[in-house]
Amino acid sequence: MTTRRKGARLSPETLGFTFDGRSYSAQVGDTAASALLAAGVRAMGRSVKYRRLRGVMTAGPEEPNALLTVGAKPANVPNVPATQLKLRDGLVLESQNRWPTLRFDLTALLKLGSAYFGAGFYYKTFIWPKWRFWEGLIRRLAGLGAAPGRSDLPAPSYEHTHCDVLVAGAGAAGLAAALAAARTGASVVLAEREPSVGGELEFETARVEGRSAGEWTCAALGELTRLGARVLTDTTLVAGSTGEMVLHTEPAGMPGSARLMKVRPQALVLATGAVERFMAFVDNDRPGVFLLGAAERYLARYGVAVGQRIVLFANHDRVYAAAARLAAGGLQIVAIVDTRVSGAVDAQSREIAADFAARGTLCLAGHAVFAALGGDAVTGALIGPTDGSAAAQTVRCDAIAVSGGWGPAIHAAVQEGGLKRYDETVSAFVAHDASQWRITAGSANGAMQLGVVLKQGVEAGVAAAKHAGHRGPLAAVPAASGDPAPHLEAYWRAPADERQEKNQFVDPQNDVTVADLRATLAEGFIDIEHVKRYTALGFGTDQAKLGGQLGAAIVAELRGETVPAVGTSRLRPPFHPVTLRSIAGHRFGAYLRPARVTPLHDWHVANGAVMEAMGLWMRPRFYLANGGNPTDAGIVEAGRVRTKGGIVDGSTLGKIEVAGPDAAAFLDAMYLSKASTIKVGRSKYMVNLREDGIVLDDGIVLRMAEDRFLATVSTGHADHMLSHFEHYRETEWSAARITLTDVTDAWAVIVVAGPESRAVLTSVLGSPWHDALAGLRHMDVTAGQHEGHDVTVLRASFSGELAFELHCRPVLAVGLWEALVGAGLAPYGLEALDILRLEKGYLVSSEMDGQTTPIDLGMGSLVALGNPCVGRALLDRPAFHESHRGRLVGVRSTDGKSPFLGGAQLTQDAVSAVPVGYITSSAYSPALGEWIGLALVARAVPEGNMLYVRDPLRGGDTTVKVVSPVHYDPKSERMKS
Amino acid sequence: MSRLICPFCGPRELREFEFHKTLPNAGHTPFEQVYLRVDSLTLSVEHWQHIAGCRAWLHIERNPSTGEVLVCRLARSEGVS
Ligand SMILES: [Zn+2]
Repeated sequence: MTTRRKGARLSPETLGFTFDGRSYSAQVGDTAASALLAAGVRAMGRSVKYRRLRGVMTAGPEEPNALLTVGAKPANVPNVPATQLKLRDGLVLESQNRWPTLRFDLTALLKLGSAYFGAGFYYKTFIWPKWRFWEGLIRRLAGLGAAPGRSDLPAPSYEHTHCDVLVAGAGAAGLAAALAAARTGASVVLAEREPSVGGELEFETARVEGRSAGEWTCAALGELTRLGARVLTDTTLVAGSTGEMVLHTEPAGMPGSARLMKVRPQALVLATGAVERFMAFVDNDRPGVFLLGAAERYLARYGVAVGQRIVLFANHDRVYAAAARLAAGGLQIVAIVDTRVSGAVDAQSREIAADFAARGTLCLAGHAVFAALGGDAVTGALIGPTDGSAAAQTVRCDAIAVSGGWGPAIHAAVQEGGLKRYDETVSAFVAHDASQWRITAGSANGAMQLGVVLKQGVEAGVAAAKHAGHRGPLAAVPAASGDPAPHLEAYWRAPADERQEKNQFVDPQNDVTVADLRATLAEGFIDIEHVKRYTALGFGTDQAKLGGQLGAAIVAELRGETVPAVGTSRLRPPFHPVTLRSIAGHRFGAYLRPARVTPLHDWHVANGAVMEAMGLWMRPRFYLANGGNPTDAGIVEAGRVRTKGGIVDGSTLGKIEVAGPDAAAFLDAMYLSKASTIKVGRSKYMVNLREDGIVLDDGIVLRMAEDRFLATVSTGHADHMLSHFEHYRETEWSAARITLTDVTDAWAVIVVAGPESRAVLTSVLGSPWHDALAGLRHMDVTAGQHEGHDVTVLRASFSGELAFELHCRPVLAVGLWEALVGAGLAPYGLEALDILRLEKGYLVSSEMDGQTTPIDLGMGSLVALGNPCVGRALLDRPAFHESHRGRLVGVRSTDGKSPFLGGAQLTQDAVSAVPVGYITSSAYSPALGEWIGLALVARAVPEGNMLYVRDPLRGGDTTVKVVSPVHYDPKSERMKS
Repeated sequence: MSRLICPFCGPRELREFEFHKTLPNAGHTPFEQVYLRVDSLTLSVEHWQHIAGCRAWLHIERNPSTGEVLVCRLARSEGVS
């Protein structure tokens, strides 16, 4: 048992986990990265393209290399950064992108051919027909990790919350802002990505208000709690949209089990900090190359030294303070390599450097690390002057810590609608804030010294609270001392000849090198967004937090442009990977959306109905008693309606009551034909148009009284049609006296169809209805009562048979339905309903596809009436009358037996490749004993012509004859009998 | 533009509302009414419905560049002369 490490985040208790099958021990509070580093494990994965062995580089979500798979298939969670994975006892971890093992990777043989794997290689090489040959290999190699086989859904649902001030980031700036806001009485939510607050105060040598940074942090947290602020750790602001912020909370050690939270604050403080940047040099991806801040964090948080003999490489003064802390932690500082010339180095830094030099550290100003030496791990560094004035020298080391400056985390600011600007003093893009509601503070705003960071935090907190309507006493800015200003000088890559540029990594996760950037620009992909797509710079789990700005800066160098002129690619949400499971939340399976059921639903289910969703409604598709599949059962059910009769649940039919003195005039404007000519007690089949003349919906309109109509609309359209009517009532018709009421749920509808329908319905409703039903003509309406409740009967037919629509109060539905079944009428479902409609040439639904006019659908005579309704004027557009436009026809197989399917294209013959139309609906007709269909076919094609059905993907090629759309009983004698 | 202030319901989340259309310039042919809507960088005049609330139809004028809502009132008043 090794000795226990001491670190700000560690408890002495231990836990165990496995990595690639080996057992390791860790302490509570460790991440996978810290525990593996402590155990001396350097290699944690291979790169995605060249399969280079890689170790952890960072201590945060910017980690490009150390991506692990947690758990075993099928419940595995891939691509979890080792830096973000807080360990839990018993976790099973695997490295990725290697086969069969991390050390012995056969696919790494690819790197021998890496000269051929540059940017664009895939695009240029694996094209048809070669793709076919390579596909198997590529699929084995492509992508990060392996997708899980299943998910333990449902995930937690979102939390929706609101507050006066949301502060993202609980470093010095965020704590100061949250405190300042909370002291005014504002309600505050403070979200921190890390498991504890403090940010860089965790390791920076700092004093605040006369106390140590740690004591100040503790006191601030205590006061926030007393003031009622909600402090959320392990919680990251992953996406900002206008006014709404998405937080992502993941319990420690439970990757993939995150919960999303949507917060609506009155004001937002973004104290999201900055991500340390990398610099390019040869083989800068070797295990043992770290970010400087990562080296500091591993030491302070987890008591882990990232190496014993370390070279520091930076372009700013912070490296000297860091060197002092790392040395105090027991690391031997072999060299401090500063890209700035000695004149640019701060006096205090020069003093520290002199101390180090006296103890044998190589302190080199105006120098850079040219290359990381070694094989599977760093064994040395090649260091030379940046101006090439002297030869490079080799020093032995086991780690190189790099810091190329910091990129403010402005993701949320930009996503929320903010702009960015390039700040020369920090050589980085910062948020360009003009908004009062969204304020950026601290290092997220380019502030690099603790005093300034705290000042910005306090000011942001006060301003945000004020914006939310809270004013407090003038807040004092805490006095503080900390690390000196960095005096950063932009530096992006060490000198290298062009041959070596293929080993200068810019984006390690996607294996993007300087050579790739050069090749991409040479091929004409100049814009940074194009560079991103061609090279994959900024793809993947880290979204180029580490290398995005570096890559853009090198593009600028290669193009001879400035960094601000090149910009950076768009910072898209989410900030770090969010599982689809947490995005779905509880909306899964039955909880995806509500289901609407009719009063007869339970009866259907109890009597063997196979239900189908139509929009939100559940409807019987067919009844198992009539066949084991929809086709067989549909034929039986439809056939029986024609010979005897049947009943179908039509309750889902949309029903809108239109009432008032102006109702008739209003409906005249809403429909292609006039409603005002319908007499009380009569009804009419009518069609609505959109304002551009396209058919919107169809249905029967019933006139119940002089000033009261019932408009029936398609099942899936009821909500939309109500809005459509309401829109006209509230705009052009706002002076009219009309009420619109959705009465869909107020009436159950039972359609009674077939030759025996009148007799059975009369027997069920009883003698009071005898005369009314006996005298009911086609399209007549009669209203009355049954068992004390309102009932309306409409004689109308969508089957072509004598048929009645029985509208009853829901309480009557089951009783009437069972009585009808008892009297000998069997229920039928949607499948039969569609067959019956199709046989009669009635529109099913795919004919009203948002592209057809009433002229196309054979209602030219209605158009000719000239009722000036909505959409009528545009029907006169010449394009609607051209001969190649489709019109509704019937189609039948030429051989009387071959099937054909809706969606198939129609051509003049088997050779022609130009469609003249397509089939909209088709079914086997039991009445005709063959396949029939409806189609939209160019007007130029006359009835009687043969057309070729092209349906190669479904193997449905055949020929059809163009016929009248009314396949069955063309004179409608049965329905009007 | 994350909320709209419904004249009946007060400030409500945007997702309660449904965009319907951008309004055309008044007084032109039916074709222009349908197909030639106002397309400006700084002003968009629209109809929305408070579909998940009181169902009121709203007349909204907003700046598409900034998302600022300049006018949000009932559409009803348009039709009353
Ligand atoms: Zn409202």
